[in-house]
Amino acid sequence: MSEFFKVCKTADVPDPGKTVFEVDDHFIVLIHLDGEFYALDDACTHDGGPLGDGFLEGSQIICPRHGARFDVRTGQALSMPAVQATTAHVVKVEGDDVFVRIREE
Amino acid sequence: MSGTIVKQGFTNEAFESFLARRREPAWLVELRRDAWAVFLDLPFPDRTQEEWMRTDIRAFKLDGFGIPSPSAEEKPLAKALLTEGVDLVGRAVTGDSRPLPTRLDAELARRGVLFGSLEELIETHGELIRRYLFTKAVDYRADKFAALHAACMSGGAVLYVPKGVKIDGPLHIFSSLSPDAADFSHTLIILDEDAEATVLSETAGFDGQADQAPSAGLHCGAIEIFVGPRSRLRYVNLQNWGSGVWHFAHQKALVDRDADIQWTIGALGSRLAKVNQHVALVGPGANAQVNGVMFTEGRQHLSYHTLQRHHAMRCTSDLLYKGALQDKSRLVWRGMIKVDRDAQKTDGYQRNDNLILSEDARADSIPGLEIEADDVKCSHGATAGRVDDEQVFYARCRGLTRKEAVRMIVAGFFQQVFDRITIDSVRHALGEAIGRRIREYN
Repeated sequence: MSEFFKVCKTADVPDPGKTVFEVDDHFIVLIHLDGEFYALDDACTHDGGPLGDGFLEGSQIICPRHGARFDVRTGQALSMPAVQATTAHVVKVEGDDVFVRIREE
Repeated sequence: MSGTIVKQGFTNEAFESFLARRREPAWLVELRRDAWAVFLDLPFPDRTQEEWMRTDIRAFKLDGFGIPSPSAEEKPLAKALLTEGVDLVGRAVTGDSRPLPTRLDAELARRGVLFGSLEELIETHGELIRRYLFTKAVDYRADKFAALHAACMSGGAVLYVPKGVKIDGPLHIFSSLSPDAADFSHTLIILDEDAEATVLSETAGFDGQADQAPSAGLHCGAIEIFVGPRSRLRYVNLQNWGSGVWHFAHQKALVDRDADIQWTIGALGSRLAKVNQHVALVGPGANAQVNGVMFTEGRQHLSYHTLQRHHAMRCTSDLLYKGALQDKSRLVWRGMIKVDRDAQKTDGYQRNDNLILSEDARADSIPGLEIEADDVKCSHGATAGRVDDEQVFYARCRGLTRKEAVRMIVAGFFQQVFDRITIDSVRHALGEAIGRRIREYN
């Protein structure tokens, strides 16, 4: 299992907001929403679109290519054309540091 | 002119020092300088470009590698797969972009066949090479990787077969890559009129222990092939790098009047591969058969972009790519048949079949036709599917384990393309390599 990597300070990502980071050879989009942090694969499961360039709408992130929606908290696909969840990675906040652990499953 | 890779980055100083060491003719230095300028000028491709939208190279760090530099250190070579039990008539080997001594049957040399590293042939037959190198085949302005290759090419092989010479036995071109090294090898094959040859070209690398991350590596290469009028080339190109290697390649064949090419691609290795394979039928009656055998596993991502370009009348092209995927791997095939206005009576076909062996593997097939002539026969097809549980059940009822059953089904899936490959050792090597990779799935 992968370890936790420090990715940024809590203030580095506005709330609500998102930023793409490279963590342990993976690109993730870190989302700051209502005081919580979430990390998803920066890839839409429909055709690999860059979720990090997408739009936040409530607790959903919308792929900029074809409009697939994902739940930022779980990675669950919420609308076509995506039918598979994108991977949600493990996030923890210690003090004002944000850490992410890559979920390989 | 030997070379191995020293990590000093891709700076102007490193490039100038590379040029100074090679002492090449002025035309080649000029070509390299122009390519270097293109490389510096172009941005890295990104996912906003159609060709790259499914291929994410953000994790690729060019600075981890360097321009070929001389060094006494010679690393052990990886194992070649295609030559077992084969009587070769010539062999050219490159280790980490360093050309090693080549061998060619003396009788063939007497008949005018040239075979050796790019470095050797530039020294002995510079004007011949100049007529073909980056002239009509690969365009080094195509993207940043093509330009980088043209600026830094080192190692690889050149084959020239004169008019009327038919080579019976196969020639072998082999590139080996050691951990964390880079390969900029260039392949140039020229068949004059009424010539024949069989070329087995392969790359190989190393994978570390199963519990360790694979060693990184870079291949930034090009293949240029010229098949002269009424000539016949059988060309096999197996990519079997280690699973940490980034593989970027531009490959193009020009097939002239009534000439034939059978081009077989095998893709087993690398972490990420982005390959442009282009067959241009430039003389009336030219024929191209393109075969592809791919097997991916782990998190491999292989992306093949093929173009069958019909410039002349009465040409045929027939492409069959077959891929099997396991784990979280991904295959992308984007194929195009493009027929010019004057290329009447064209017969073009392309097909891509994928067998998905695990839940998380993914294949993208994107065939395309662009036809400007009005008297042609062109079509395409693509399929993707899983292993049929009923077939597995049937095989298990007859005493096979699940793994044996899946292996047999995969072998059957590839049989259609193996039947088109006319070289026994290639069929055998690909079949064996794929069989070894198949894991058990429930």
